[in-house]
Amino acid sequence: MPLLEIRNLVVRYGEIEALRGVTIAVEQGQVVTLLGANGAGKSTTLRAISGLAKPASGDIIFDGHSIAGLGPEAIVRLGISHVPEGRRVFPGLTVKENIMLGASNRKVSASQISREADAMFDLFPDIRAFSGALGWTLSGGQLQMVAVARGLMAKPRLLLLDEPSLGLAPVIVQAVFRIISQIRKDTTVLLVEQNARMGLSVADHGFVLETGRIVLGGRPDELWGNEAIAAAYLGGHAKSHA
Amino acid sequence: MDLFLQLLFTGIGIGAVYALVALGFVLIFRATNVVNFAQGEFSMVAAYLMVYFAVDLGWPYWLSFLLALAGMALLGVIFNLGVYYPLRHRSYLPVIIATIGASILLANSVLAIYGPQPQVLPGWFETPGIQLGPVYLDSQYLLIIGVTILLVIFNFWFFEKTLLGKKLQATSQDKEMASLLGISVSTMIMITFIYSAVLGGLAGLLVAPVLFVSIQMGSTIALKAFAATIIGGFGDVTGAIIGGLALGVIETFGAAYISVPYKDGFAFLVLIAFLIFRPQGIFGERVAEKA
Repeated sequence: MPLLEIRNLVVRYGEIEALRGVTIAVEQGQVVTLLGANGAGKSTTLRAISGLAKPASGDIIFDGHSIAGLGPEAIVRLGISHVPEGRRVFPGLTVKENIMLGASNRKVSASQISREADAMFDLFPDIRAFSGALGWTLSGGQLQMVAVARGLMAKPRLLLLDEPSLGLAPVIVQAVFRIISQIRKDTTVLLVEQNARMGLSVADHGFVLETGRIVLGGRPDELWGNEAIAAAYLGGHAKSHA
Repeated sequence: MDLFLQLLFTGIGIGAVYALVALGFVLIFRATNVVNFAQGEFSMVAAYLMVYFAVDLGWPYWLSFLLALAGMALLGVIFNLGVYYPLRHRSYLPVIIATIGASILLANSVLAIYGPQPQVLPGWFETPGIQLGPVYLDSQYLLIIGVTILLVIFNFWFFEKTLLGKKLQATSQDKEMASLLGISVSTMIMITFIYSAVLGGLAGLLVAPVLFVSIQMGSTIALKAFAATIIGGFGDVTGAIIGGLALGVIETFGAAYISVPYKDGFAFLVLIAFLIFRPQGIFGERVAEKA
């Protein structure tokens, strides 16, 4: 049984149908990458899983139970942590405070949370020096590290990562993906990326979304092999990988 | 010089009241993005509760004080559930109108019970005050200043040193993200309303013996406190406190040295000057600089 199974998911924003029957499965221990152009429905899929968007129809099954229609506070307590698009680091709180608040879904003491947040800097050494800096003072790469660290503080069984590479310099993107390949040792990851090359490099499985539907799914090498897809989503350098 | 010190003391005392109400404004604004136009009525209702318990029923002053504050906490709950919660997913405008409606409702309910005649509430202490060198320290003003100092320290500790305070800040900065982390947004907003109602109530209880207890006292204090928040920098906690104190001192000095009838005018002159020359207030940043 997959850890997460989405069946025929439909999400509407008013009149607009953002998802038109999406079906995907994420197996325990996998990294699954959702690819697609702007507006294809990648972020909406994650928002529906974490409870920010209400499904109009279809089902979302996590660990054998339907979570469709639950609120975000309930869903994160079940062990799904969503690191949303744009990082959303609290600008008026320090880095450490931001990371500590990631544990708000668990019942642990403040001193325990503080120790865990300190330990989190071992995985993110680049932001250790900024522990006391306010969120708004950080660079994009630092914000992404804080956002992922905060997401991991929930001790999630499934981590949803939305566009972690967006707007980052190539060297920072590589640092972020090194962290993702570290995380995958303990946590199942559903990753949304426009950067298909990086997104598939860490994935066990990929899906391609197009205007609210899954048009293709498979192992990364199978996706690379599909010429039309490679040309449309994988940067037009298909030949060098074929 | 003696007059100067005397006026400074009085100005800080009245300014402390503005600061407490301004703090209530700022906390609710930060949590809900809405100015609560019933904030002044919280002070007025608390003063009438105090009149009811301490004067009408003749209960001990300290007990009446605690009961009045408990009543304000309850009013904060009712206000949140009745005024804010049903409209929380709407834009700010319906919520603002609802707070104006609530303020009219509160004022007229009290009017229906007590009538337009102002009530008198005795001060906490038997002794009217103490003479310290050239300055006469009124005991009620001493109490106001003392309580305000304690509250500012408490407020700092609560918001900066506790995890609950951090969760409240997180909620006010990004509600959706807070809910993704498992922070109960509706609980945080409930706490904010309770705290703000108690703060506003406390201001009313402290200032009531200095002024008369009247239906209008809420709107007078609220206008000054609102001016204080703009002078301090809207949405800034330190700014609200500094702005409140500054306004109290300015209007006291203006009344003494320039003109008594224009006492209330000085507060608004300062407000207008700030709106023209420094609209972001003393501590506020320009919105563009925050991007």
